[in-house]
Amino acid sequence: MKRSSLVVFTLWFAACASARAEEISFNRDVRPILSANCFACHGLDAKQRKADLRLDVADGALAERDGHVAIKPGDLAKSEVWRRLISEDADVVMPPPSTKKKLTAEQKATIRKWIEQGAPYQKHWAFETPTKTADPPVQNGAWAKNSIDRFVLARLDKEGLAPRPEASRATLIRRVAFAVTGLPPTPKEVAEFEGDSSPQAYEKMVDRYLQSPRYGEEMGRHWLDVARYADTHGLHLDNERSMWAYRDWVIKAFNANQPFDKFTVEQLAGDLLPNPTQDQLIATGFNRCNVTTSEGGAIEAEWLYRYAVDRTSTTVQTWMGLTGGCAVCHDHKYDPLSAREFYSLYAFFYSAADPGMDRNTNTTDPFFKLSTAEQKAALTKLQADETVAKQQLEAIAARVAYADPADAQPPPAKQPVRDVWLDDVFPNGSKVTCSSRNNSVWATAPEVDPPLGRRALKQFGASNYHDKFENSLQPFVIPENPKLFVWVRLDEYEPSQTLSLELITSRGNRRFLWGNPKNYGAATTDKSWLGEAPPSNQWVELVVAADKLDLQPGDTVRSVSLAQFGGVAWWDGLIITGDTYPATDLRSSFTAWWKDRAGKETPGIPGELAAFLKAGPTLTRSASEEKPEDKKSNELKDKLRQFYLAFVARASDAELQQHQQAWLAANSAKTLLEEAIPGTFIFKDLDKPREAFVMLRGQYDKPGEKVEPNVPAVFPPLKKPTTESRSTRLDLANWLLAPDHPLTARVTVNRFWQQLFGTGLVKTSYDFGSQGEPPSHPELLDWLAIWYRENGWDTKALVRLLVTSATFRQDTRVAADLLRLDPENRLYARGPRFRLDAEQIRDNVLYVSGLINLEMGGRGVKSYQPPNLWEPVGYSDSNTRFYLQDHGPAIYRRSIYAFLKRTAPPPFMSNFDGPNREQFCTLRERSNTPLQALQLLNDTQHFESARAFGERILSEGGETADERITFAYRATLSRSPKPEELAVVRRALDQYLQRYRDDSAAAKQVISVGESKRKTNHPDTELAAYTLIANLILNLDETVMRN
Amino acid sequence: MHPFLESQRHQTRRQFFGSTGLRLGGTALAGMLANAATRTANAAPQMLPPLPGLPHFAPKAKAIIYLHMNGGPSQIDLWDHKPVLKEHFDKDLPDSIRKGQRITTMTSGQSRLPVAPSKFKFAQQGQCGTWVSELLPFTAKHVDDIAVIKSVHTNAINHDPACTFVMTGSEVPGKASLGSWLAYGLGSESNDLPAFVVLTPIWSSGAAAQALFTRMWSSGFLPSSYNGVALRSVGDPVLYVQNPPGVAARDRRVMLDALSQLNQRRFEELGDPEIQTRIAQYEMAFRMQSSVPDLTNLATESKETLDMYGPEVHKPGTFAASALLARRMIERGVRAVQILHRGWDQHGNLPRDITSQCYDTDQPIGALLTDLKQRGLLDSTLVVWGGEFGRTVYSQGTLTKENYGRDHHPRNFCMWLAGGGIKGGMTFGETDDFSYNVVANPCHINDLNATMLHCLGIDHERFSFKFQGLDQRLTGVEPQQVIQDILA
Repeated sequence: MKRSSLVVFTLWFAACASARAEEISFNRDVRPILSANCFACHGLDAKQRKADLRLDVADGALAERDGHVAIKPGDLAKSEVWRRLISEDADVVMPPPSTKKKLTAEQKATIRKWIEQGAPYQKHWAFETPTKTADPPVQNGAWAKNSIDRFVLARLDKEGLAPRPEASRATLIRRVAFAVTGLPPTPKEVAEFEGDSSPQAYEKMVDRYLQSPRYGEEMGRHWLDVARYADTHGLHLDNERSMWAYRDWVIKAFNANQPFDKFTVEQLAGDLLPNPTQDQLIATGFNRCNVTTSEGGAIEAEWLYRYAVDRTSTTVQTWMGLTGGCAVCHDHKYDPLSAREFYSLYAFFYSAADPGMDRNTNTTDPFFKLSTAEQKAALTKLQADETVAKQQLEAIAARVAYADPADAQPPPAKQPVRDVWLDDVFPNGSKVTCSSRNNSVWATAPEVDPPLGRRALKQFGASNYHDKFENSLQPFVIPENPKLFVWVRLDEYEPSQTLSLELITSRGNRRFLWGNPKNYGAATTDKSWLGEAPPSNQWVELVVAADKLDLQPGDTVRSVSLAQFGGVAWWDGLIITGDTYPATDLRSSFTAWWKDRAGKETPGIPGELAAFLKAGPTLTRSASEEKPEDKKSNELKDKLRQFYLAFVARASDAELQQHQQAWLAANSAKTLLEEAIPGTFIFKDLDKPREAFVMLRGQYDKPGEKVEPNVPAVFPPLKKPTTESRSTRLDLANWLLAPDHPLTARVTVNRFWQQLFGTGLVKTSYDFGSQGEPPSHPELLDWLAIWYRENGWDTKALVRLLVTSATFRQDTRVAADLLRLDPENRLYARGPRFRLDAEQIRDNVLYVSGLINLEMGGRGVKSYQPPNLWEPVGYSDSNTRFYLQDHGPAIYRRSIYAFLKRTAPPPFMSNFDGPNREQFCTLRERSNTPLQALQLLNDTQHFESARAFGERILSEGGETADERITFAYRATLSRSPKPEELAVVRRALDQYLQRYRDDSAAAKQVISVGESKRKTNHPDTELAAYTLIANLILNLDETVMRN
Repeated sequence: MHPFLESQRHQTRRQFFGSTGLRLGGTALAGMLANAATRTANAAPQMLPPLPGLPHFAPKAKAIIYLHMNGGPSQIDLWDHKPVLKEHFDKDLPDSIRKGQRITTMTSGQSRLPVAPSKFKFAQQGQCGTWVSELLPFTAKHVDDIAVIKSVHTNAINHDPACTFVMTGSEVPGKASLGSWLAYGLGSESNDLPAFVVLTPIWSSGAAAQALFTRMWSSGFLPSSYNGVALRSVGDPVLYVQNPPGVAARDRRVMLDALSQLNQRRFEELGDPEIQTRIAQYEMAFRMQSSVPDLTNLATESKETLDMYGPEVHKPGTFAASALLARRMIERGVRAVQILHRGWDQHGNLPRDITSQCYDTDQPIGALLTDLKQRGLLDSTLVVWGGEFGRTVYSQGTLTKENYGRDHHPRNFCMWLAGGGIKGGMTFGETDDFSYNVVANPCHINDLNATMLHCLGIDHERFSFKFQGLDQRLTGVEPQQVIQDILA
């Protein structure tokens, strides 16, 4: 559909509108010719302009220059343009032969007629404010259900054509259900509609679907194409980003029928509204959906520039339907958008607060935490609880009796210890790094049931995915007879290839491996290899014995790194046991600890104690001998000891231990909730705006003239609340929505029309400029644009208006002569018929089969995908290198919730023309390829759906084969099969029944595809045969089309 | 043209050509399959024609094999012999050479930019005497068929934009890749394989490597049916080409017979030609279920041939196996084959890692050229070798005589072309003594693209697609030139 047919369309007018052939319209007939052939040198772009002549505006073309005039109205002989057009002389003829452009005889005739008729100029149609015309008179007024139909019919009358009759109810309900919800109707819904004899049956049916939450999902996915939404950054590492909340906001906004003007303002400038709500901030994610990089060596300034260009182009495209990209490098050759004007628009976006380098994290600033009211309240309470628990612990520590074992004579005997190095939270004060570049990920029940505490550390994907924590406040000391334990659980489907536990100690590094040691450059003969990977899908306690640890009592561990390679693993409860001598133990003796910390930085120490601790133990006198100068230091020492007892030492008495544990529990409860609250990318400006410049030839390091935020001159001027201040994105958004703006409403209604009818009234919905196609029904486009705005930008009402028109309800049969006359159905003399979109095709089989999971929202899900699609392309260190499929209900979610990795999108999208979301897409193609056929036949998702549908047919479809096939047809196509169809399917069914009766092993294989469980006990043979019949019906042309 | 005729042409191309570039082989198919080992240029009428007017002139090459060495292979260690560098070992790169050019932020913070001469020996090879590094003994035997361009330069300094640029002629994502352009413009000569196929072999060192992006073989703004089709070594060679377990080919046949009857009925009812296209595509899918396994079955190759590609050819997914598959695809009429080999981004430990990369690729490339030549296919196949940029003469990180690293260098790097339309035994372009600046005959990436299109009979200036208000071209909006000097 991207294939331009500008010429076709122009000729189309010539062919179809012969009645008007003598009246030449500048915009309709002449401008396309001049634009394609002349404007590059005689148009808007001053730098490229030759002979200082403009032909795009009357002022230039009609002016006399040196006794010549380019175009003399009504006088061919005196028109230099005409002389040049028809010249045979290579030095004179226009366009010059070097351009390889040439006018056809027909085009020349058009120019001739236009000059003869007085060469009237018009501003390009799309830059004139829309005007409302009255409904035109039509021959068969009874056919029309609303104004849309009158405009369509008036045109058909002119062409001597008649519309098609209304389609059958079965066809209509399926058409509406897909158009409005992206899913087919259920057999029950079909029966209800067919049985409803009220005159408003159709409207009632439409309204029911408009109220469904599925409506927002269907509308939303179209918008997400424009917004270029995806779940990864898109460039270089292509790591995951967290902004699904924006996707969910779009769906919610459509479901709540948010008026399009608010929808616009919140996305472009939600952050600039007074006291913006959480939703208004999420909405600004629109301008954070662009691709970003953090490639090593990349130059910050270059990327800040590129992001602003992307945001400008996307905004211009989305609301104005113009291709701003050209003006990045030079004045637009065809449309009145100079480079200076482009950069004035760019100035609205160039002060964005997000960095040039996204840091490869999923939380690139500005990042906004999304807490619900309940979460906010719960968090406040947990924070208070934690504060209280901490205060109580400190109070106990202040009054507890403590005798330093270092002072005891004789020294106390050795004692058994069991120290927890890691449980629900990382140790106090430790520095934590995760190789994913994001925060570490923790899992709780029901995902896993941690053997210790409330959550387990989760690791997934990537080669050498690791979490490392170092320099904790509590020292990690090796006891005598040490034994290190850690719980681990490997994933059922994607067990890690290798597990690694690495310690950096005062006696050097120690690494311990389980599983394939090669991934860490080791061999099974190495000391570091402790055995095979543990069995998956269960908690296993790994043990490192003393001889393997090879450390001496008193050695300290500076950092611990837990890692896995290439799968999914959960870790929990890193514990060391052994014996310790209290007199020298850092967690028993205050003095020993203080000595150890002397001269070192200790993390997590309150400010006033830090220097005191670092200075080392000072000689202090007892209270009785205390001199005035000792007072301060004794106070500090007391405080330090209290701090030590509360947060560093093992509890020396029961009460202290109880409060230590209470505080740990409160702290982890608080941390767990804090970390469970997701966030999303939002758009913000820097406090102080960056200066913006025209960038010469589109190069980031070649600034030219300075520019201020402003809008192109061809449009109505920007209205600002105050004259002094710099214009903002909010001003820009309001300007787009002003009643005199010629484009926003037209562009928007055209996209909705395209969505519902398959092709826009302006076919080039991405280009309303002079290189795009003029509208097929200009009056109708303007009527709709004004109607939409005057009805408060009510999108549901607009959709309702479109789908309740008689134009929409026609049947799709097309006679050969009409097909010849109007192959693309631009006149609407028949109903719209086109292939379902990628998401609809997948959702359809899930819905018909009953497998679908209609849960809404949340992080992107990963359904079935053939192996090795991410791995061969992914950067080695990317956190989206390994595709880790979800399991259970997640794989049956609607397609809008699928995880979209930009550099390797899921085949169900890319095979069916889904964009990769690297840049905006306002128009998808509808290809028809053998790769699609292979996917619909063989993809696990599709074949499993056939299996589940087969089961449904057997359970719900009645007893006889004919009843069952009829049920399958009704469930899929909303209609019963015709006798001939029934016969064809029966024949195939009989063959399959025989086939699988003869080969029960094959039958077993067929009915075992996919992860979902069988629900019934139908014989294998029958189920296998009906699986293939379901597979057949789900592959019918009629099934993958919106009819 | 009348709108209906336009639409018909459109339909015809979409039905028979669009959609992965496959065209219906109808009755000719049996003959094609029987004859699969030879390119049967005139065995069947080309039901999937090129765009009207294409090729613009008689092409020298009908097909292209593009060997992309991803990461930026070091020109200084492979092709751009700079003996004088020995004298500059560990001396600073002179300011007169660097001229304040931008460098990446990976080395812009280095206190010094010390010159690192190549540790590898160079020798003159062939009749022509082209200098080649000892790392490439097999390729070296073919220098008389190769034109080395030493002066290729690009706009981008980082991998992602540079890869996008070298493959699509633009740094900004969204443009069409070379292979997609060729599939779009020239159609397919294969009855049962895609027009544009991509392979992404493994690299034996397994060291961390830069990413690839599907946009490197994407159709961009062209219809998505011109996307490159990945031929895979793990799982189905082409996605979903295998039936589910328990479904045999004859079961599929039963279904497709029923399916086409039912769809045909539907067509008779509605008259929409798209339904017939769908029927045809299902039949094509069915044929692919046998033609693709036939393509990837290397058991039919002789021992001599297999040996020539080296020991790795027996491992699926290696560069060697990919190179052999490339030849098999060219025989079967595939228009464009792209092999993207990762692992060439050697910021450190360059000598060790480049040796491993050359082990992967050199022998298979030599074998591919020999193999094509022996079968008379080299004259009609353009073979291209190169990365997305070059590497710096100065060392990144610690420099010793034996070990060094090199940063990205977009200002000049080497690529080579051989086969259809190319004058062998020559070098084009010169760089200064430091391989840091082009001093003669610069060749921009899009000059190279223009030259490749020329070899395939396409005038790059007249090969455009209207999108976003522009006549989009592979070679961009700036004027570009075909490098006439390297043409035969």
